[in-house]
Amino acid sequence: MLKASTSRLAGPIWQIRYIHASLPYAAEVSSNASASSSSSSPSTSTTPAKWTPNSVRTGVIARKRGMTAMWDDFGAKFPVTILQLEECQVTANVETVRKDQSVYHAVQVASTNVAERKQSYAMLGHFKRAGVPAKRMVKEFPVTADAHVPVGTTLSAIHFVPGQDVDVIAKGIGKGFQGVMKRWNFSGQTKSHGNSLNHRGAGSTGQNQDPGRVWPGKKMAGRLGGKQITVQNLQVVRIDTKLDLIFVKGNVPGIDDAFVQVRDAKKTMAIGRHNWEKGQDEKVLPKNVVDIPFPAGTKELAAQYPPVISAKTRRINSPFAAGE
Amino acid sequence: MNRIFGRTLRSFSTTTLRFSEPTAYPFAKDAVISQSSLPESLNLGALRRGRGLIEHVRKELVPPEKKQWLETLFSRNHPDRLLPGSVVSVVLNHAPSTFTGVLISLRRRGVDSSIVLRNVVQRIGTELQVFVGSPHLKEIKVIQRASGKKGEGKRMRRAKLFYLRDSPEKMSAISVGKRR
Repeated sequence: MLKASTSRLAGPIWQIRYIHASLPYAAEVSSNASASSSSSSPSTSTTPAKWTPNSVRTGVIARKRGMTAMWDDFGAKFPVTILQLEECQVTANVETVRKDQSVYHAVQVASTNVAERKQSYAMLGHFKRAGVPAKRMVKEFPVTADAHVPVGTTLSAIHFVPGQDVDVIAKGIGKGFQGVMKRWNFSGQTKSHGNSLNHRGAGSTGQNQDPGRVWPGKKMAGRLGGKQITVQNLQVVRIDTKLDLIFVKGNVPGIDDAFVQVRDAKKTMAIGRHNWEKGQDEKVLPKNVVDIPFPAGTKELAAQYPPVISAKTRRINSPFAAGE
Repeated sequence: MNRIFGRTLRSFSTTTLRFSEPTAYPFAKDAVISQSSLPESLNLGALRRGRGLIEHVRKELVPPEKKQWLETLFSRNHPDRLLPGSVVSVVLNHAPSTFTGVLISLRRRGVDSSIVLRNVVQRIGTELQVFVGSPHLKEIKVIQRASGKKGEGKRMRRAKLFYLRDSPEKMSAISVGKRR
């Protein structure tokens, strides 16, 4: 499966181009490689899978632990949210054939061991089948066919690379029954000038006899919050594989200790895919990110690398330097 | 670069021209690698479940030269701790290189700890919030210490002295005779 490049990139081993086994071209190339390549690794499944811009890999379930601050290389302060993976294991690989014969692939992940009495019998049987302890939270991440992860794998913070972007999905804090000004950003009415009893209301809710009713979906007061929110393109600034911590720059929905889903940022990855198709290989992954653990960053992989890894800042110039 | 036409036939190089030698962590270029401050033998059970995690992280993020400050100046019980109402001078890397003022707010959050100093500079009330974890902060000097529970002199009966914004006479009473 390894093909020694004959291009200007030929050089030390990390500059060899990899061709993924799932691509039709790979079969032809691997037969050439075994003839010409000096590498002794066989072109079979023992070679580790590599990330390609067309791959979508699994996300993880983490717990939002809190926030603090960090300072970048130029001395600029930025907020970070600390997410912790708590016994995050793969419980299933889903492959469903749709009506149009396309296949939906997904990796199901579960987090946080619980006592068996706290889970339903149905879920206990599911966890037993996967060979994992009973878990509290189970979520599914759609992936491409090459990104399935063996059931029972423990995911680690090494799954994410400092410098990459992630999307974080969680249930936002519930705000209860709220008025239109908070819920829908209505302006309300004047506070004085003769206004009586109508300062924060919605005002008019419609027209006159025609239509003579209120349109469905009219913005009104009601329950606000407590819904799933996705915050996109948060940068991973630091990982700690000893405690399975992911430090993301910015805010994350939900309360502390809430379950969040963390996955590679779809939009950043899509832009990288377009750049790859245009031939701009250097713009496929974010700046300073060279590769991504594929199909997933596991506990075993984390043991091979140092425990705490921080990203270099993306800034080029100091924000404190005087401009022209 | 070998350009093979057709979308499915293009290969992707996970390595680029951007770095020239393998590192301890191959996934990111120029990543800053450090060791965990936790000893190997420590039972990580509680921390891995999130108990005491934030306090631990807020301490771990503090650069080693500033850990001393957290233990003395920003502790709650140390005899040399900062007290609201003290006159404090800070030395910074950027302008103003030094700032002296009355400590009106003390916020204890580990690496995110900060103090707010208030002074009247050229007849303009000025406040400066200084963060302990900032690489720009070089030194904190206590010029006139406020009295604590058992000290001599009048002690501040509040943790946050925001009322000083409206009473210049009280500001002068605290910092009488102290120049900038």
